[in-house]
Amino acid sequence: MNWNLWFGKLEDNKLNVVDFHIAFQNAQNDSPLPFNLFEVGRSLFRDDRDYYKTLRKIAIKICEERVEKELKREDRYVVALVKALEEIEESKNLLSEKLDDIRGIVENELTKAFDDRIKYLDEMGKMIENEIERVMTKIAPNITELLGAKIAAKLLERAGSFEKLVKLPASKIQIMGAEKSLYKALSRIKKGQKAKVPKHGIIFVHPYIRQLPKSKRGKMARFLAAKIAIAAKIDYFRGELNESILEAVRKRYEELSR
Amino acid sequence: MKEIMRNVYLKDGNLFTKSRYGSHYGEKVLSGYREWIPWRSKLAAMILKGYRISFSGKEKLLYLGAASGTTVSHLADILDEGIIYAVEYAAKPFVKLLELAKERENIVPLLFDASKPQIYSGIVEKVDFIYQDISQRNQIEILEKNIDFFLKKEGSFLIMVKARSIDSTTSPSEVFKEVTRRIEEKFDLLATDSLEPYHRDHIFIYGKI
Ligand SMILES: C[S@@+](CC[C@H](N)C(=O)[O-])C[C@H]1O[C@@H](n2cnc3c(N)ncnc32)[C@H](O)[C@@H]1O
Repeated sequence: MNWNLWFGKLEDNKLNVVDFHIAFQNAQNDSPLPFNLFEVGRSLFRDDRDYYKTLRKIAIKICEERVEKELKREDRYVVALVKALEEIEESKNLLSEKLDDIRGIVENELTKAFDDRIKYLDEMGKMIENEIERVMTKIAPNITELLGAKIAAKLLERAGSFEKLVKLPASKIQIMGAEKSLYKALSRIKKGQKAKVPKHGIIFVHPYIRQLPKSKRGKMARFLAAKIAIAAKIDYFRGELNESILEAVRKRYEELSR
Repeated sequence: MKEIMRNVYLKDGNLFTKSRYGSHYGEKVLSGYREWIPWRSKLAAMILKGYRISFSGKEKLLYLGAASGTTVSHLADILDEGIIYAVEYAAKPFVKLLELAKERENIVPLLFDASKPQIYSGIVEKVDFIYQDISQRNQIEILEKNIDFFLKKEGSFLIMVKARSIDSTTSPSEVFKEVTRRIEEKFDLLATDSLEPYHRDHIFIYGKI
């Protein structure tokens, strides 16, 4: 019988000591140990105290790492913020439109009330954007650096979660965000109405793409999407900023704009 | 101050544990004693209702559902020569539990799902006591699994049961009857009672193998 223990493997009554950090994470067994773990492990340590001291240190370290990863579920917060921001922007646009209509006819107290409301929504929108910026730079520094917090957050929202974003291939990232308008356009066309079929996703609003001549945008988008896929993985698994990605994207942009 | 259990003191109807540490969850600290608030900790409620558990201070204890460590912090005062394996699966409260574990030498914090003891079976040794407070529908099943894996033959356990999390469609007294019956089927019942007025529709069940 083999047993996986936090300090090693017990194989046919022979103890093979394994790196504790690795062993701790593989300390699974299908049935209860027929011996006391502490009795077997104690001989590896100076004394009883040392056994617990070591175990505690490893448990704290590994669980701390895990908890940080879990807390990255702050992505759910970002998703909710992006949704809220989009609602607010939509209401704001709608109100502005109506206000213009009314103003074309009269100018009175009522139009001032509209104005105040729009300003208020504007302020709220800015607050939410600031918050998105704060959280995104913390949980996803690399894609935020590449795309800016707002676009990066939108990408996350469309993917549904950080975990899902990380699993997306670059080709999907490239067109992401266009789906909704695509469906809308298709259903209009179905009804015999006129509609433009969108060709670009969220990342097409990136200045590096928009500033290029049309003929080169596709190339840039493909390159950028590939780098975003890498950046997202670094963000998810390590969470540290990697300057070289942005550098590569900038270089490619310069090449293409020549 | 009167010592009513190891390192547990009663004064003017208030409970304290003897402690060298500071406040963990907002409780008062008076020169070497930490107030133990029964509304915050079900174990404190049980003790204030007159029940006692005889700890020597050297026990190995497995705690399922440690949350941010409110009760764990007092148990760590009590088992000052023992070890507490504190299992919790939610990340947010675990952050606070980690802070506690970093200052207390007798707490091993474990971010695991208590319903899968297999996964931590090579980490937790055989223990003298299992404490469970997880408000889950299948908490008895979870308890049984952990007893199988970790409780010594002469060991005992204490569980906190919230009626609503087991079955919200039946009356609490029916739920408690059923839960107690299930425990008695396999184990020896040492004591059980409600935790009113501190925790509504909660009971504790204290038993041994
Ligand atoms: C009522 S709280 C515990 C309070 C704590 N015992 C105290 O008195 O300080 C219940 C805890 O159990 C945790 N929990 C529920 N199911 C669990 C499981 N399967 N594994 C680990 N923890 C679980 C919850 O995340 C929650 O933090």
